[in-house]
Amino acid sequence: MKCELCHKADAETAIRREVEGEVQELYVCQGCARQETVSAAPPDVAAEQPVAGGMGTVPLMGMILDAAFEIVGRAMNRAEPACPACGILRHEYRKQSRLGCPACYEAFAKELDAAIFDLHRAAQHVGKVPQRAQALWQRRQLEVRLAQAVKEQRYEEAIALRDELLRLPEPDTSKGGPA
Amino acid sequence: MMLTSAAQAAPHPALPELAATIAMSCRVRLARNLAGERFPDWATERDRERVLAVVREALSVEAPELRVTPVAGVEEQDRDMLCESHLISKELLERAAGGGVAVAKDGSVCVMVNEEDHLRIQGFAQGLDILGAWRRADALDSGLERHLAYAWSPRLGYLTACPSNVGTGLRAGVMLHLLGLSLLGEIEPVVRGLERMRLLVRGIGGEGSEAAGQIYQVSNMDTLGTDEEGIIRRVTRICSEVVRQEHNARVRLLQETPLVLVDCLARSLSVLQNARLLATAEALEFLSALRLGAAMGLCTRLKVSDVDALILMMQPGHLQKGLGTSMTSDERDEMRAELLSRKVARVKLKC
Repeated sequence: MKCELCHKADAETAIRREVEGEVQELYVCQGCARQETVSAAPPDVAAEQPVAGGMGTVPLMGMILDAAFEIVGRAMNRAEPACPACGILRHEYRKQSRLGCPACYEAFAKELDAAIFDLHRAAQHVGKVPQRAQALWQRRQLEVRLAQAVKEQRYEEAIALRDELLRLPEPDTSKGGPA
Repeated sequence: MMLTSAAQAAPHPALPELAATIAMSCRVRLARNLAGERFPDWATERDRERVLAVVREALSVEAPELRVTPVAGVEEQDRDMLCESHLISKELLERAAGGGVAVAKDGSVCVMVNEEDHLRIQGFAQGLDILGAWRRADALDSGLERHLAYAWSPRLGYLTACPSNVGTGLRAGVMLHLLGLSLLGEIEPVVRGLERMRLLVRGIGGEGSEAAGQIYQVSNMDTLGTDEEGIIRRVTRICSEVVRQEHNARVRLLQETPLVLVDCLARSLSVLQNARLLATAEALEFLSALRLGAAMGLCTRLKVSDVDALILMMQPGHLQKGLGTSMTSDERDEMRAELLSRKVARVKLKC
């Protein structure tokens, strides 16, 4: 396969570059890969770009990777998920290793669940159950199920859920609501 | 040799007796957050002030003896003293607005507000009585839960600012004095073993600190997947084993390398009695040796509790508060040396 940039030399590596807000993956020759990396790198890094070959091979590979990560990272930031409750972005909590609010656990569940399992080697809470928070949680779950049942016109189930909700004690949300 | 025969004659003390000299203290901390509120790091000053007010109100009903004081309103020396006593963290001190603290008069319970989490409820106890520390923290937590809606989910338990605390939100820690193992050069395998068993090993100052004076804080790493009593049983069991290892190390020091032990004690006592300037970390190293001597009955007129009191008294905040004045670092080093030389002036080694 020929290089997708110069169309002369054989393609030896893949690079990613941003074109009009989209990340494209191109198969290019070493020369074009080098050129792309230098132009994508910040000015101070570009100034230190070693001459190709010999001692420059390892730093060059690092720079190619850095540039690729930077480009991909920028593209990802644009579609980066945010917590609907506190507005924190994924890279923000990653930077500090601290979440923005309790709702972040739902908002970033996909990657957090894996991280939590790595941290604790467990995925399910065992132990103390706060009665008040549990009651609020149950109420919220029933409300979600009721709304879903009404939406899908499962009226018998909806009536049963409504009755179940009515049997629950009145929630005290004066000092915070459910997570 | 005299020390060797003393070691052979010495009875093997029971675990509680050992724990009193090797396990300096223990603590159980519960991380709790209010539902629907941003965690303190991402909250505005107004958010934090609101949380502080809500917690203060709940505490005033549930535990009126625990009065919440805003950290910003606590005098610098008092703040340092609280920190040195391990009642509050440096992170809370750095929290300008909304940070609060409530400490029981006997120091058995403490609540930090708007530290890493909205609430850090801590119970303290002597030796290895982690269960006792847990019961204190748990009672207060259950009381507060009647007034506050905690952020909690059936799957992940108590939701915390850092996922490393999610689940029970419980960290059970024991402060262990392990100079015997250190003098025998056996501390590293012990620390590695603890880490392999998924325990956190930190220095006396908590996260990121060195184990100055060979004092280590050992606590559970996992907070999710095991219930509170299970975590406490495990930490107690493993720390009891470390206490036994340290005791054996002390007996072996007497039997196998008595000169190393006596040299360490003599040098430390000599410096403490004669130095004119002593920095905190330096003083802690020598006091640690003296603590070992006192625990092994090798020092006259010195009990382990005396040394523990000195370890606290010579810290910058306690030192300045005790003398009722603010001092520069150099002045403190001078006053610390004077204080310690006075306090250990009559201590002698029995060997």
